[in-house]
Amino acid sequence: MGSAAPRLDETVDLGRGLILPTCVTVASGTFGYGFELGRLCPVDRLGAIFTKGTTLQPRAGNLPPRIAETPAGMLNAIGLQNPGVEVVRRDYAPVWRDWPVPVLVNVAGQDIAEYVQVVRRLDGVEGVAGLELNISCPNVAGGLDFGLDPAAAAGCVKAVRGVTDLPLVVKLSPNAADVAAVARAVVDAGADAVSLVNTLVGLKVSLALGRPVLPGTGTGGLSGPAIKPIALAQVARVRRAVGVPIIGIGGIATARDALEFLVVGADAVQVGTATFVDPGAALQVLDGCRAHAHRLGLSAWRDLRWTGPTDPTREGGGAPG
Amino acid sequence: MTADPAPVPSDLDRALSVEGVCLGLEPVGEGAVELRIACDPIAQKVAPGEFCQLRVGPGPTPLLRRPFSVCRADPEAGTLSFYLGIVGEGTARLAALRRGDRLGVLGPLGRGFTVPPAPSVLLMVAGGLGAAPFPLLAAACQRRGVELIWLNGAATAPRLFPVERLQVPVAAHLVTEDGSQGERGRVTDRLGPLLAGVDRVAACGPNPMLAAVAAAVAALAPTLPLEVSLEAPMGCGFGVCLGCAIPVRTPSGPALQLCCRVGPVLAAETVDWPRLLALPPAHAA
Repeated sequence: MGSAAPRLDETVDLGRGLILPTCVTVASGTFGYGFELGRLCPVDRLGAIFTKGTTLQPRAGNLPPRIAETPAGMLNAIGLQNPGVEVVRRDYAPVWRDWPVPVLVNVAGQDIAEYVQVVRRLDGVEGVAGLELNISCPNVAGGLDFGLDPAAAAGCVKAVRGVTDLPLVVKLSPNAADVAAVARAVVDAGADAVSLVNTLVGLKVSLALGRPVLPGTGTGGLSGPAIKPIALAQVARVRRAVGVPIIGIGGIATARDALEFLVVGADAVQVGTATFVDPGAALQVLDGCRAHAHRLGLSAWRDLRWTGPTDPTREGGGAPG
Repeated sequence: MTADPAPVPSDLDRALSVEGVCLGLEPVGEGAVELRIACDPIAQKVAPGEFCQLRVGPGPTPLLRRPFSVCRADPEAGTLSFYLGIVGEGTARLAALRRGDRLGVLGPLGRGFTVPPAPSVLLMVAGGLGAAPFPLLAAACQRRGVELIWLNGAATAPRLFPVERLQVPVAAHLVTEDGSQGERGRVTDRLGPLLAGVDRVAACGPNPMLAAVAAAVAALAPTLPLEVSLEAPMGCGFGVCLGCAIPVRTPSGPALQLCCRVGPVLAAETVDWPRLLALPPAHAA
């Protein structure tokens, strides 16, 4: 090869002026508020940090057990343990202000009023680069799951959009009957980008105890490599439904996993549960993606994207036979 | 109940994610092994009661690392060892390692035991696999000239950590529930008379045993410092999965805090024992 390979432009434009330095980011609920890991995962090289889901008031979270290991995955029922938005804006945001990596605060609430109040407190706070709206947290008793219904999801997004000009990513639930419909609804309501998938509802049984391992109803959010094929299918589906940037999430542990999401239509990815296993996982994923891009001589991540299929009758496929 | 406050100032910057090499496995009694690995960077800095997260395989199942207190550390040889019971798929895989096999080691993590100043007497109370952190603690105490008393209990003799494996001189008191070694009974049956002559107590074992030890110390010697090493289902081990919450007592009331950050070793009076004991077993299959 005589000519020099085109230089890879790693940036990802999420809209409203938020440009991620690269495509590999870390998922909400797996990286705290960015500073917990210290030298175990230097944040400088990440594309973005999505914080732990943050509510208006501090939340102690659920009583243990909160996690249960499953084949190629794990269930969690943390119950939105977080210090509350005041601590985040007062103590954490000033730390983020000096970081090269954008920090997006994941916002959770039990009703639209709470989402709006949390977002109001984050709007205009230096160090907060954007918001990720968690409209689907199945682990909180009494919490409405806006993410399952297009109209409910749109209502929540519209209310939030009305009180902030911050870049707004909406995190979609894989438990919705029609994720593409929810995606279209939240984009119409003002989302700048969508991220998917959140965890799937799952349950593990203890035969020794004769009941589920996790307390309450026994359900938790399933994450890890087990959910990757489902996440890929949903990202591909949402890619056909909306034009905004997509952040792919679900079982990404290796560069190959991340590249697969880019192929089916994601603009960026979040590494989640893999960080629990290896705190430096996101950086290894990034290095692998870069090596792949350089091997192929890509000029942008988007060059990886698969452009088919165009046959709409394939939509909703998945029935056996 | 209050939320976990702003992150506990931690010394996570001490923790390293490195690769260790299996140097061998030695069966210890029934259903347990001592795994010895070459892992120089962590051997240089680990303190008694701290733990490591061991990767159990390269594949996605079992997914999570397994936490183990460091049993021994030899900074000169650059080695660590772990005393582990074969209780599930993860530990079975670790017990099947062969000399030369590599495994991911993340540590040192957590807060360990206080190594008391000399001259003093430390009572170490262990139940079953809870003997794990004591060889390292005993070695640190011996270097400092602290006198050691060892009260060790298990269900049966083959489940009792052999006293010679402590590798330091101790005054040993052994009990088994079936009387097959030492006296018949539980460690709490023997605890009372020992408390009068000691300056500090360190305990590790199943949570119900630790609760009983804490109750006995509170009743018989309420001013005696007692530290306990707790077990909790743990995901990451470094404070981001939020899986290992344990009920504690704080000045502002009952709270949940992460065992991997405030523990695994805590002052007994900070543990909310009734709420801890009301929880389901940590590792229900």
